[in-house]
Amino acid sequence: MSTHQSDGGTARVIPNWESCIDCGACEVACQRTWDLPPESDRIQVVALAHGTEDETNKPMQCYNCAEAPCVEVCPTDALRFRDNGTVRVDAGMCIGCHYCGVGCPFGAPQYPDAEVPEAEEASPLGARGNGLMDKCTTCEPRQEQGLEPACSSECPTDALLFGTPDELSEKLEEDHVSTPFSDEAARIVFGDDADEIMGE
Amino acid sequence: MATEIAFELPYTEWNWRIGVYIAMIGIAGGAYLTGYVADLLSARSNASEHGRIAKYGYLVGLLGLAIGPPVLLSHLATPFRAMLIPLTMTNLGSWMAIGAYMLLGFGLGSFLMFVWVAFGASRPHSPTVAEGSEGTLAADGGRDVASDGGAEDGPARAATGGTTGGIRGILERLGLVDRLDSLADYTRPSEPIRLALGGVFAIFAAGVLVYSAMAYGSGATERVALWDKTFLVPVQIFGGLGAGLAVSVGLTAVADRSVSPTIQNYALGAAGLLAATLAAVLATVFLLPEQVPAAEPAVQNLLTTHATLFVGVVVIAGLIVPILLSVGTVVGQRRDAVSATAAATSYAIAGLLVIAGKVALALAYLLAAEFTPIPLPV
Repeated sequence: MSTHQSDGGTARVIPNWESCIDCGACEVACQRTWDLPPESDRIQVVALAHGTEDETNKPMQCYNCAEAPCVEVCPTDALRFRDNGTVRVDAGMCIGCHYCGVGCPFGAPQYPDAEVPEAEEASPLGARGNGLMDKCTTCEPRQEQGLEPACSSECPTDALLFGTPDELSEKLEEDHVSTPFSDEAARIVFGDDADEIMGE
Repeated sequence: MATEIAFELPYTEWNWRIGVYIAMIGIAGGAYLTGYVADLLSARSNASEHGRIAKYGYLVGLLGLAIGPPVLLSHLATPFRAMLIPLTMTNLGSWMAIGAYMLLGFGLGSFLMFVWVAFGASRPHSPTVAEGSEGTLAADGGRDVASDGGAEDGPARAATGGTTGGIRGILERLGLVDRLDSLADYTRPSEPIRLALGGVFAIFAAGVLVYSAMAYGSGATERVALWDKTFLVPVQIFGGLGAGLAVSVGLTAVADRSVSPTIQNYALGAAGLLAATLAAVLATVFLLPEQVPAAEPAVQNLLTTHATLFVGVVVIAGLIVPILLSVGTVVGQRRDAVSATAAATSYAIAGLLVIAGKVALALAYLLAAEFTPIPLPV
């Protein structure tokens, strides 16, 4: 498991929807780990193909896109790429304008109104309330301790995969599954590594 | 198998406040630009009548900024932080940051240009006491300054129409007239430089007008097909110019009781710009779904779920009726079939309807919009 950016690129959590059983353990793990209120949606099990016979519920969260639209549209530079390639929101810069919410194709930005007690590790890992933008932090403090993000760590069916593009590609190949991303989505998420992940 | 994620609608991110903001800055930008054109034309002929449109154009620009940006700030989680623009708006790749700077320059410009043309003893376009005593203004539907008590109250008051009625009357009650007169006379540059500065500020106003379209944005992902810029930019530019001019004409007719032939020409100009807006809106309805199929559901939303707002308020009440009112009133005036009072009332109603239509258009574009889902294989 990678905990930081390596030569293989940015480490991300991506879903393996074929294994997801919609148990909600990822949501609970996220909220419990970061002392978040139940209404927090840093990771959310959402309905796909809503209203059709194919309707299914799968987890979605911030993918720390290589071509992150949220970073592009943020007027205050509150959203930035960190050295390890992940996208972080600076609570001290965010003005809560929701531009990132309109720009993100995956519905990742959240704007919780509830004031959340500041965890010691919170800064600079999110706004966590008061209408400011909040999103998945990929559990960076856990990674620094050599741990996987809470959601992927506690997923009972390994439906959330964590790793660099190289590692994710290997895992997907081992499990004989494809990514949940279309070509268009993969280009946004993985940038130049999209072809590798998508298996060309 | 490809499937789609069901996202919330864009209106859950941006509510009515964004609509009011976008409408107000559009009207403000259009009013300033048409006012500036009138300011330039005043150097050629009939200075006082063109000057009225210039003055009220700058005022509408100022009022639009007094309403729109505060409404936007009320939408933000940290409005005071957002107001520290040089410190916070650092991503110049974002239209919101670009727009913030455009609004700053435009706000300064509309304030200065309004103060320079509306206050002070030596303001441009001012009807002279001699003109007033000859009754030319009164005959033209305007105020007879000499009989308005201005001449006895000093040159500034005489030059700007005395102390009764209009903007001065309101500001007099607030105790601001003397200060603004002093400020105007102290800061006003020579006429060529004033007009040149007005041109620089007009660039900011034009930027605000463009921003009123680009503010509907989602960056490179262009997730909202209804907000396709090929169609939206003409709607917002013509809409801003037409609404701004129509409101300026209405305000001129009411505040200065002026419905002169020059003002009539501006009313016709506003009607033409509103007709261009109508054409751009209709093009969006009929051509956008053909060229951008993902926009079809949102266009259908405009015509069904939000038909009352879009068809009723935007198209009929906000565009067609003001066009007919303006053109009909001008024709009536030129045939001596409409009194000056009725004409002023008509222009004022047209201006009010245009404001309602512009706000309704911005709201309709937010309410009807849908995110274009990214198909995901499951």
